[in-house]
Formats: sequence, C-alpha cells, structure tokens
Amino acid sequence: MSSLRMIRTSATLLMVVFLFLSMWSYAEGADKDNCLMCHKYRFLGRVDETGRTVNYNVDEVIFTNTVHKNVSCRECHTYIKKVPHDPVTEQVNCATQCHITTPFSKERFSHEKIVETYNGSAHAVKPEDSAELKEAKPECKFCHLNPIYTRVEAERIDFEKSLNRCLNCHEAKGVTQAYKHMIHRLGRKTSRSPQDIVELCGKCHQDVELMKKFKVSERGLTAVETYKQSIHGKIITLGGDDAADCISCHASNKLHDIYKKDDRRATVGEKNLRRTCAQCHEQTNSWFVQVAVHPTTEREENPIVFFMNLSLRFALYGTVFSLVGLMILETFGRKKDGIRFLLRNGTSWLSKLKQKEKK
Amino acid sequence: MPVSTETAAATVEQAAAKEDYFTYVEGVGHIPRDIYKYVKSDPAGDLPRYSVHIVIQHFLISTTFLVLAATGLPLHFSDVFWAPYLIALFGGVDTARFIHRIAAYIMMATAAYHLVAIAGGTIRKILKNQFDYKRTQIPRPKDLFDMLHDIKFFLGFESFRPKMEKFTYKQKLHYLAIIWGTTVLALAGTALLFPDIVSKTIPEAIFKISPRAAAEGGFPSLFQDIARLMHADEAVMALIVLAFWHLANVHIVPGRFPFQWTFLTGRITREHQIEEHFLEYIHNLNEIPEEREYMRNLLKEKGLDRSGGMEVSPLEKSLESENGPAAEAAPEGEES
Repeated sequence: MSSLRMIRTSATLLMVVFLFLSMWSYAEGADKDNCLMCHKYRFLGRVDETGRTVNYNVDEVIFTNTVHKNVSCRECHTYIKKVPHDPVTEQVNCATQCHITTPFSKERFSHEKIVETYNGSAHAVKPEDSAELKEAKPECKFCHLNPIYTRVEAERIDFEKSLNRCLNCHEAKGVTQAYKHMIHRLGRKTSRSPQDIVELCGKCHQDVELMKKFKVSERGLTAVETYKQSIHGKIITLGGDDAADCISCHASNKLHDIYKKDDRRATVGEKNLRRTCAQCHEQTNSWFVQVAVHPTTEREENPIVFFMNLSLRFALYGTVFSLVGLMILETFGRKKDGIRFLLRNGTSWLSKLKQKEKK
Repeated sequence: MPVSTETAAATVEQAAAKEDYFTYVEGVGHIPRDIYKYVKSDPAGDLPRYSVHIVIQHFLISTTFLVLAATGLPLHFSDVFWAPYLIALFGGVDTARFIHRIAAYIMMATAAYHLVAIAGGTIRKILKNQFDYKRTQIPRPKDLFDMLHDIKFFLGFESFRPKMEKFTYKQKLHYLAIIWGTTVLALAGTALLFPDIVSKTIPEAIFKISPRAAAEGGFPSLFQDIARLMHADEAVMALIVLAFWHLANVHIVPGRFPFQWTFLTGRITREHQIEEHFLEYIHNLNEIPEEREYMRNLLKEKGLDRSGGMEVSPLEKSLESENGPAAEAAPEGEES
C-alpha cells in the first residue's frame, strides 16, 4: 500500500520536474519552429555556388545569451515558409517588426528608426552608386554580430543590485528585459570596446585602394594612420578606454548618423565640432576645435611641423653623437694621461711615482 | 699607456715655459698641475661639492624622470612591441597616465625647490660678500676656451687639462640643457594635459598682439602639434643623453668606475677635484684648513716645498733620473 503511494508520489514528482525542465528549455531557446532540429549540428553546411564553404550551425548556448534570445527565428528570417526550406537568397532586414513589445510604450519592436538614420548616413547605399560600391558599403550585420549583445560585466555596473531598484515599482517580467537591453551600453556609446571600434572602422578605412574608389579626401585616406598617431589613438592602442575612438567623434548618440565632414549634419562638421569635443573636453572653445585630431607631419599638409620635426631629429642625433663622441675622446685622452680602471681606495692614477714607491 | 720619457720631458719643458705648471697658494706652496696623480682619495669623497638640497633634488628629479620615461615612452611608441608590456607593469594605460602626471607634478615641484634653494644660497653668499659668479653655473667665454683646450689635450696637443672652476664646460652645458628641457617638457606637457585651456590662452594672447596673424588661423593646431613633437623629442633626447653620456661620464669612465658617490654624499674625491676643477680646489685650499694641511704635507713628502716653482718639475725629474725608461713597463695588474 505504502509502496504504491510512494510510486505514485515519486511519479508525480518526476513529472513535475520533467515539466519544469521542459518549460525552462523552451523559454531559453525561443525555438518554437524547432529550427535547431537541424541547425544544432555543428557541421551543418554546404559549398555554395561560388565555391565558398558556409556553416549554418546555430550555437544554442551563444544565442540564448544574446539580446535576441526571446525573438524566434522566423521573426527575422521571415522568408522561411516551410521546413525543410529552400536555399536562402534574402537577407535579414533589421527594420522588420517582431513580436516583442517594448515594456513602456507597448509598441511592436523594430530597429526601423535606426535603419532610417543609417540610410541617411555616409555609409548608406545610394541609388547612384556603382555595383562595386554598393557591395563595399557596410550593412547592419557588417558591424553588428549577434554575440556582441551580451550584457555588461558585473565589475562595471552591479547588475542585480541596480535591477532590484527598478523592481520596486515595475513588474519583473517586462523591466528585466528592458533593463538588460539598455544596460549593455551604459557608460559608453557602444557596447564594443574602443579597440574593437577602431579595428572595425579600420577594416575598410585603412584600405587605401578601397577608399580611393569612394573618392574620399586626402586626409580621409590616411585617417586611421593619423588617428593612431594622436594621443587618443595611442591610448586606445594600448588598451585604455579613457579616450575617444572613431564613434566618439564621428557619430552622435544616434550612433548611425555618420556623415561626411562637409555635411551640415556631421558631428565633425564645422558647426557641430564644438559640441562634439565638449563631450569630453569641458572648456571647449572656438580655438580648441582647430587642434588636429588626426595630426600629420607630412610636408605638404603641415610644412612648419614637418621642418620642426626634422630639425628636432637632427638636434637629437647631433647632441647624442657629439656628446658620446666627446666622452670617448675624453676617455682616450685621460687613459693616455695615465688613468686606469682601478677599484682601489686611494687613487685611480697609476703614475711612475707610485711604481717607485712600491719598490 | 705610459708616455715615453722623451715626450714627458718635452711636455714638462713646455709647461714650465708656459709658467702655469705651478700654482702658488699662500701657506701651502707651489702646487704642480699634475699633483692629482699623486694624491690619496676617499671614494666617498674628500671635499664638499653639493649641499644636501642639491642631493635631495638630484634624487627626486632622477627618480621622477625614470618614472616619467617609463610611463611616457610606451605611450609615445604605442605601436612598438614592448609598449604593452611596459604599460602593463603600471597597471594599464589609464593608470600609467595618472602616474605620469603625479610624477610630473613632483618633478616640477623639485624644479621649483631647486630655484628657491639656488636663489636662497646666492642671496646668502651675496650678503656675506662671498659670491663669485665664476663658481656658479653661469656660462662665460672661458668655458668655450676650456673646451677647445680640453679637446686639444685629449688629442695630445696640450700637456695638461685646463684649470676649470667648480662647474666645467660640460657640466654647464648639461645644466643649461636640463633647464631648457625641463621648461619645454613642463610647458608642452601642460599643453597636452589641458589642451582646451592652453589652446585658448595662447591664441588669445597672439590675437591681442596681432589680430591679423591670429586671423590667418592655424595657431592652436600648430601649437598643439609643436607641443606634442617637442614633449616626446625632448624626453627621448634627455633619456638617451642621460643613459649614454651622463651615466657613463659619472660612473663608467676610468677614475669614476665603478661608482661615484658624489650624488649621494655631496662630496667629491680629491683627485677628481684637482683634475677637473683645479681652480675650485684652490678655493678649497683657501677655505678648508685640513685640506691646506694635507697638501702642505704632501708637497713636503714629495720634496716640492722648497721649489721656486719656475724650474722643470722636480717630480718628473727625480723620477726620470732614478727609474729610467725600464720602470715604465712595470706590471700594473698587481695593484688593481
């Protein structure tokens, strides 16, 4: 009797645990179309028409730790209508509305506004661009990879503690998601490290051949190189995060509004420059904004600095070589005069008189 | 490298002909120019050279300079392979920049301390009527002639080194270079640390003097560029000069090797003082009774106390007659 009850209890318990576990895994994956049935395999892939090997694997662990974890696959990959699906020809459009509702406005979520800003920026594809240029311009996914949307480390902001304060008023469900979404870029404009930003922008902007196709200015061709010579660039190169990277100056808080310098809306345009510098340099004034952020010592662009640099170089080598030369000459002369490398208390001079005294 | 008898005799003759081989000091006697080869010296120093203030200042400025160089160089050469390792020693670039600033403040405070100490000492000497500009770092034409004389001596065209004051031409050059370098580094460093303030005040000053020149533009940028160039260049030059010249000159060349204690004790060895700062040694003789006593005894011991001073050096002469050329090749290794 008791054994029957025990079996029944344990069976119920097991069922509850099982149910709990299965619910949990569902909530994590957001894979209601069961795409992972195939895409979980690590070597799922093929050789495409151009001979490139493509891997279609989706790592569930990485995906469930990104900000997109609650968005199911087909909300972005809208063109998938059946399983197994046809070869994919379309790209994901980040302006697509998904089922997520924003916790405060209750609107259906979409990156539409950002895409709009981006479409007005210098990086957007323009109708008059040649096919080659269209190909070369970065679209959303060039800079944004899903895995980078992880939340900030606890060292920078105490995640749990600050969230608890929100929970005083807000329901945990909505605000946790919103909080996680916002917090990963608190403190900085971007969630990427400044080093990553410089590397990311440098990927194209360092490529002089590519930049020539875009007909950028002379200074634009060497922008990355000259930036790295500036104090900002040097600090960033050495791993600091207390200095300006590309995005700090070339975009406002909208982040995607990067325009050419002569554009009225550009943050580095003449009119906006003062406000841009004032983000860090509080005492900004009309003189200060003339200081070169991309310094150059090229003869054509900055002749005074070029010759200054040259003469300083001459002064350095001249001084060092003449002084060391003098020292060598001096040592030669003094050795001839009778001085020796002696380690004695008394004298360093080995003279004829001393030898006489010894005898 | 012993000098042959012939040339030695010739040089002694020359020197005697010039009448400056002996220097007469009241109450001591005639001091031969090459007496430094025969004096006893204590490596820790026999004669006063630097006050305790200078010793403290040297300590402060050398340590801060090393810290500044170690934190500043990797920043300047940020793309060189060793830069990240050196920066990591200081706990990252942000910490290194902070340390750099603290060290810079200490260095500037030391410079101010130095100016105050120098000014105070000078005023005190003026009041006591002891001030002699020849014993200071102030450059004068003699330094140039001293340098030419010294180079001639090193090349073998002169018999003896020039009689120099407390500070030789080299030291004056180095001192002026340090004043210039510290000023440039401090000014350029200020321009780099407060670009917004400096780029406002300087062009505004130029604007007041000449509105047209300022309107042409480029001044803030130019000034900042020059500050950036000069800060790094001065620092690199200072480091190389200190490492390869100053350090070698004070600790490595013969007579100074293996270590010269002057920068810690503030005292200089007797042989060094007579060799390179002969005139200062004469001052020492006049000022320090013990030193007068020592030199008088030494001269007596060498049989020089009766000398009229105008003959050929009895020192050299007596050696030549008693030893002959053979003694010159005597083994030297035993003594060291």
